[in-house]
Amino acid sequence: MAKTYDYLFKLLLIGDSGVGKTCILFRFSEDAFNTTFISTIGIDFKIRTIDLDGKKIKLQIWDTAGQERFRTITTAYYRGAMGIMLVYDITNEKSFENIKNWIRNIEENASADVEKMLLGNKCELEEKRQVSKERGEQLAIEYGIKFIETSAKASIRVEEAFFTLARDIKAKMEKKLEASNPPRGGHQIRASEPQKKPTSWLSRCTIL
Amino acid sequence: MPDCSENYEKEISEGKNVRNVMCKYCNSVILTPSSASFTSFEYELPLIRQSKTNDQNPKTENVSLFWAVNDMFTFQNVGFSNTVGNNKYLTCADCEAGPIGYHDMSNKMSYVALTRVIHN
Repeated sequence: MAKTYDYLFKLLLIGDSGVGKTCILFRFSEDAFNTTFISTIGIDFKIRTIDLDGKKIKLQIWDTAGQERFRTITTAYYRGAMGIMLVYDITNEKSFENIKNWIRNIEENASADVEKMLLGNKCELEEKRQVSKERGEQLAIEYGIKFIETSAKASIRVEEAFFTLARDIKAKMEKKLEASNPPRGGHQIRASEPQKKPTSWLSRCTIL
Repeated sequence: MPDCSENYEKEISEGKNVRNVMCKYCNSVILTPSSASFTSFEYELPLIRQSKTNDQNPKTENVSLFWAVNDMFTFQNVGFSNTVGNNKYLTCADCEAGPIGYHDMSNKMSYVALTRVIHN
């Protein structure tokens, strides 16, 4: 059967417990369904589809499922990850300070070229804010990654964050493809030619 | 009284789903038209609503009409639960209502119960 998408990206959500990572996986958290059955078993991952510059992109998004309580995440979890959302809670100073530890954990375990993005979540709780937007921006600059403040609860900019991360991964991949298929003397490769390639490359990259 | 297949006849064309398959609680799109195949077999699927005392032995109902999906990335939006036995249960990606069906780890097939979703 023909593939129904152009790209498949494996994304991880990482950060301290309680920063709202699970909420980020929801679009309408206030509608959240709390059945004992599913919440007892727990969600392993979600598949979401987005359209990006005319391309159909499948996002497979994994939550750490409580592993973060041990302040470390195993290499297995990082395997094949192409993008990581680093999440802290703007009302929790500690969760912000721990971002540095999470980045170290990523550097030790994940692929070196994994695309990262910093999310300051719970921005609807302005009156409880402990981490200024400027500090978030500063940390992101320090690590050379993008930054956005989100509110999973109020559905503010969560989708934008995923689009941004996906767009950066796509751009990185296209750049890599171009580098591995350099135009040879005089023969100009049209931009449309290597389009079939990403699917085969990706299929080696995913764990499922 | 379970829904009978007659109710769903107009939802099937050439063995595929005619319309979007959506969450009945929040309208999140689970499958786009013509992306899943109709199939029928008997399965005991746990109920969406359970009483708290049933954690160990969830109440189930017999479900027999499914949309079969052979590649999980065919789904537009969906959640996969942690593994139970040989299966993962499927949920709405947005509100996490479920199970709306299950994923069989041995043959990688996913089955969405027609009675647990809406068609629009």
